[in-house]
Amino acid sequence: MTGDLALAWLLARGSDRREWWRVLLTALGAALATALGFAAAAVASVEGQVSTPYFHGLLNQPGQRAGVVVTLLLLWVPVLGFLGQCARIGAVHRDRRLAGLRLAGATARQVRRIAALEAGLACLLGAAVAASFSALLLLSVLRQPLPAAAWGGFALVAVSVPLLAVLVSVLALRRVVASPLGRVLRVRPAHSRVAALAVVVPAALVGLAALLIVTRSTGPGQTAFPLLVFSAVALTGAGAVGAAGVTARFLGGRLAARAGNPSMLLAAERLRADPWATARTNAAVLLVAVVGVGFTGVREMFLDVVHHPRQGVPYSPDDVAFYTTGIDLAGAAVLVALLISLAGLAVGTAESLATRRRGLAAQAAAGVPRKVLGRALLLETALPLAPAMLLAGLGGTAIHLVYGRIVDAAIVPVLVPLLVPVAVYAACLLAAATSLPLLSRSVRPAELRFA
Amino acid sequence: MRSTERTVPVLTAEGLTKTHGRTEALRGASVELRAGEILAVSGASGSGKSTLLHCLAGITRPDGGSVVYAGQRLDTLPEKRLSELRRTEFGVLFQFGQLIPELTALDNVALPLMLAGISRGAAHVRAYEWLERFGVRGQSELRPGEMSGGQAQRVALARALVTEPKVVFADEPTGALDSLASEDVMTALTHTVREAGTAVLLITHDAQVAAYADREVELRDGTVLVPSDAQAMEVVR
Amino acid sequence: MIAMSTRHILLGLLAGGPSHGYDLKRRHDERFPQARPLAYGQVYTTLQRLVRDGLAEIDGTDSDGGPERTLYRSTDEGAKELLGWTGEITPPAPFVTNEIFAKVVCTILASADPADYLASQRTAHMARMRELTAVKTAPGTDLATVLSADYALNHLDADLRWMTTTAARLGTLTAEVHTA
Repeated sequence: MTGDLALAWLLARGSDRREWWRVLLTALGAALATALGFAAAAVASVEGQVSTPYFHGLLNQPGQRAGVVVTLLLLWVPVLGFLGQCARIGAVHRDRRLAGLRLAGATARQVRRIAALEAGLACLLGAAVAASFSALLLLSVLRQPLPAAAWGGFALVAVSVPLLAVLVSVLALRRVVASPLGRVLRVRPAHSRVAALAVVVPAALVGLAALLIVTRSTGPGQTAFPLLVFSAVALTGAGAVGAAGVTARFLGGRLAARAGNPSMLLAAERLRADPWATARTNAAVLLVAVVGVGFTGVREMFLDVVHHPRQGVPYSPDDVAFYTTGIDLAGAAVLVALLISLAGLAVGTAESLATRRRGLAAQAAAGVPRKVLGRALLLETALPLAPAMLLAGLGGTAIHLVYGRIVDAAIVPVLVPLLVPVAVYAACLLAAATSLPLLSRSVRPAELRFA
Repeated sequence: MRSTERTVPVLTAEGLTKTHGRTEALRGASVELRAGEILAVSGASGSGKSTLLHCLAGITRPDGGSVVYAGQRLDTLPEKRLSELRRTEFGVLFQFGQLIPELTALDNVALPLMLAGISRGAAHVRAYEWLERFGVRGQSELRPGEMSGGQAQRVALARALVTEPKVVFADEPTGALDSLASEDVMTALTHTVREAGTAVLLITHDAQVAAYADREVELRDGTVLVPSDAQAMEVVR
Repeated sequence: MIAMSTRHILLGLLAGGPSHGYDLKRRHDERFPQARPLAYGQVYTTLQRLVRDGLAEIDGTDSDGGPERTLYRSTDEGAKELLGWTGEITPPAPFVTNEIFAKVVCTILASADPADYLASQRTAHMARMRELTAVKTAPGTDLATVLSADYALNHLDADLRWMTTTAARLGTLTAEVHTA
């Protein structure tokens, strides 16, 4: 094991610029996850009714604190999506390196372990940095010793983030059979099995949560409710990936047959060739879009009730501030999630460019205008995202309509929530467009020189 | 008639210099490509062959010296014009990589025509003709990864020639092929360009490939050595 | 090459059926394009030797409207001899007689620079390779011509490679020749 660790370190040190990007961004993702985990642990460690000066007393009651904890933990979903994108940076190089290791006599299992340790080291770095800063920040903000439970939670988070990364890497690499002869075969199982797994597991969890709620018959409890929300989100995510993949393949095939202009043809054929890449890249964004649309609708109705209660006395200014802060904090969480998933999208686009830079340079050398290549790149993001975003908009609208029915809201906003998908769509295009400068660099003739 | 035609230069480079980082790839290379000729550029690896081709084809700008094509200085032409020139008047053929992996052979060949504003249907008609000519019509619906190296390179050749360019730049076009496939590609290339009177700059380190050319220059340490060519040829004949 | 002889080639050509001298020469030049053409006199003397050794015999004469010509055919002995020859492996380069190398060494012994010689030899080789390539790629060329041109091209290519590596190591060679 120590030998593997030493090798992983040596390999990481000797790797090229692109692999350092992977390490850096992976560390960043791990740092984010750790910081979120610390905040959640700190909030969760508080017991009973307290009085805090923060967020208009939002953290004072156990019930609301549970909500905050769940929200913080939910933010792990886009962070994990981001980490997934990061793991793909320089994957071709890494695979080649692993094949070299196999040629040098390493066993397949050893190779997988080394690769996983590499990811673990990066995450350990990110987690360590984030852990120190978060702990210091929390201590200075609270100006009082934290309870032992909080420290326990911190330790758990700090250890589990890198550990989780290693596990995820092992899982991701289990099908990479690096053959000693340099060719890395990715054994592709039937997609149906993976898809089924992605649906069945969260579905089972949802069932379990529902069962817990029913048997305890005390309403959503401390364990059951977060479990329910988590599973629902995972289920929606799997659905989003599936929907995005299927539409990408369908659209790609249809458009490729009909495309009249080169950019459209290039984008459509790329979608057809690998619809799941697009689906993975877009999944987190779609998920956030669903939540965002639903949330915007719910927020309007909620604030309407807070400001204009239909019966009884108006809320006191303190209460109004309390509710507004609560809902705005939730909004901030959605925004953060959106930003993280957009970063994931940008990383994914950049990585797709970087892997293809030699081919792109050849196209530019043959006189394919940069504009055509750039347009194809944007279309590749825009095409499959349009129908998916429409679906996300509908899903989110359904959520807040249901909410509106439940609370019997006076007004049910439609326009503003429907603007959300449009805004997210535009943001996605912007995120994809951040790769355009990289395109100009990729098409330099220097890239033609290397196989 | 042919021989008088062949003395007219189409592309002239004078004193080209180019540095990549710390390595001087070209140090004052001069070369002249004449109308309708196939000119082989040979030299050891690292002698600056590819850089010379990139400078001549307007893919990269030399640090010093001049490249003149059809009366215009390529080394000072804006990138947009260069790109257009490469698309319309030049054809490029690399060892591999110029075919787009996601496109079918047919679409790959049709792409330059579509870029020129020709409709996809009309482009397909012409692309078919070129695939037919190079014996890969049967592969028109395959993607580059599904073909043999020789087939893919013949598709690439069709793509380079479909716009009927004035000059073809070939950088180790047979570098990844076995000798039979290499012969097929070179024969297809030379027959077509000789018929059309297209000039070819052929970079190769393989003497058997260079033998398809009408003339050869050698690149050594970034400069072009012109052998006492005519004299030696007299001796043999 | 010890075993390569006109007698075996003529026996091979006779294996296709009785033939007369002029026809044999014509068929030889056709089958082995780019090879040194056979002289008629050589064909005639070789045929006589084959008859003397019992490997071929006279089949009769035919005039075909022109001058009278002797027809020859292979005997069983001849067929056996031919099979023996074709089955015997050709010794891979038994003697390294290399005129280019000899000239390089002699140039060094005469205290001159062999680089110039190698460069012009290279140019001459390339010119010959261009000629052979032109012959081989001309439209309608038959396979026999292509294959024999290929044989020559591959040998010239091998010479060229050898010259390239030699040219790069002339300094060491010069030192070695002068000290030895």
